[in-house]
Amino acid sequence: MSNLILGVGDFGASNSPGDIVKTFALGSCVAVILLDPGTRSVGMVHVALPDSSINRDKAKERPGYFADTGIPMLLKQMSSMGCNVRKLTVKLAGGAQIMDPNNTFNIGKRNILAVKKLLWQHGMGPVAEDIGANYSRTVSVSTNTGEVVLSSPGRPPWKI
Amino acid sequence: MPMTIDSSEVLKRIEDAPLLSSSASRLLQITADPEHSLGEVADIVKTDAALTARVLRVVNSAAFGLISTISSIDRAISYLGERLVVGIAIDICASQLFDKPLTGYEAQRGDLWRHDLRVAIASREIARLAPQDMAVDLAFTGGILHDIGKSILSEFLTGTAQSVLETIEKGEAQDYLEAERAMLGIDHAMVGYELARKWQLPEPLQQVIRFHHKPSEADEEHRSLVYAVHLGDIIAMMGGGGTGSDTLQYHMDSAYTDYLDISVEQLTMTLLHVEEEFSKMEASLLDGKDGGT
Repeated sequence: MSNLILGVGDFGASNSPGDIVKTFALGSCVAVILLDPGTRSVGMVHVALPDSSINRDKAKERPGYFADTGIPMLLKQMSSMGCNVRKLTVKLAGGAQIMDPNNTFNIGKRNILAVKKLLWQHGMGPVAEDIGANYSRTVSVSTNTGEVVLSSPGRPPWKI
Repeated sequence: MPMTIDSSEVLKRIEDAPLLSSSASRLLQITADPEHSLGEVADIVKTDAALTARVLRVVNSAAFGLISTISSIDRAISYLGERLVVGIAIDICASQLFDKPLTGYEAQRGDLWRHDLRVAIASREIARLAPQDMAVDLAFTGGILHDIGKSILSEFLTGTAQSVLETIEKGEAQDYLEAERAMLGIDHAMVGYELARKWQLPEPLQQVIRFHHKPSEADEEHRSLVYAVHLGDIIAMMGGGGTGSDTLQYHMDSAYTDYLDISVEQLTMTLLHVEEEFSKMEASLLDGKDGGT
């Protein structure tokens, strides 16, 4: 039993009983959470930006940083762990923002759109989400229960 | 609102705050002058043994991965850049402020310093995009200092985070700053400004601290600098580097476009750069703090 802590641009998965997969303080970043109830596997990627075309080197070094490279890598890893990727449950958290009438700073919204587009291309879609708005989120998921628990400073924890 | 206390109690606490060391104070004065030279910065560092030792530890820390050890202060400063030297000098004398766990904001020990470092890096990157000449290293220093008021205000806010957030959600306060004022009669920007005056910080830094949430109210002369830190603060919070319960609970002043030119692509590149630069600087500064090599 251990904690798998994912930083910005990290992805990872676990099927060990009692493990907690966790990522801290999602601002405009989005956590894509993939659950396989059959094998009790939990996967997560902490996506920071929508599109890897802005920096291919970074995408090679840290594919989880971008929606278009991170999600396929996570699917590949979960598939190699014996998960049936067609049956994964998807949940999303993050993509917060401060409103910018000029639209330049709406990275949270762009991240969410990019993630959903990628998932859609794989025939997947979220069954639950806590996205947008203006608060930061910490996400933790237990392999035992598959429960996705969110927390934010000054708010009681909640589940999605 | 759970309580109302007199702002004079908060102001009394500013009197007890640590003073800046004479070297930190002189570095801040000199680097705010656009005409200064790197030699003047080195001269000040050389007169302060603790600062000299710490600057050398940071430059030789594992995070920078230098092949041979740097033992000359001039080389260390030109390698690190004066902004990091100023940051180290501030941290040495005011670490009891920066390292405080901001309990009133439900933040952990070190969160304030990490937030300030992110804001510093982001503000400097934004300042580089300004169409007119801007002192980019001053934007970095402004980022380090912008939230210093929170270290004093925090304890007066203990236990209020949840009710403050509810107040903002109901629209009874328009942002965290207004909620602080409603409870304590003063907000963290104003407390920081009072401390900046006590420290006799150069005028542009006083303006950054006082107006970083409402840059349009800063003096015209310093407004673009204040906008740079305003956006740097937002970038840090977007990247997950806030100071607890107030993260993202502010408004953006959208008139930044009158002072700074920033495209979606430039912002995206900036976010990427800030993340990388932050990891490197955080590791080197922590190495330096622990006395490691």
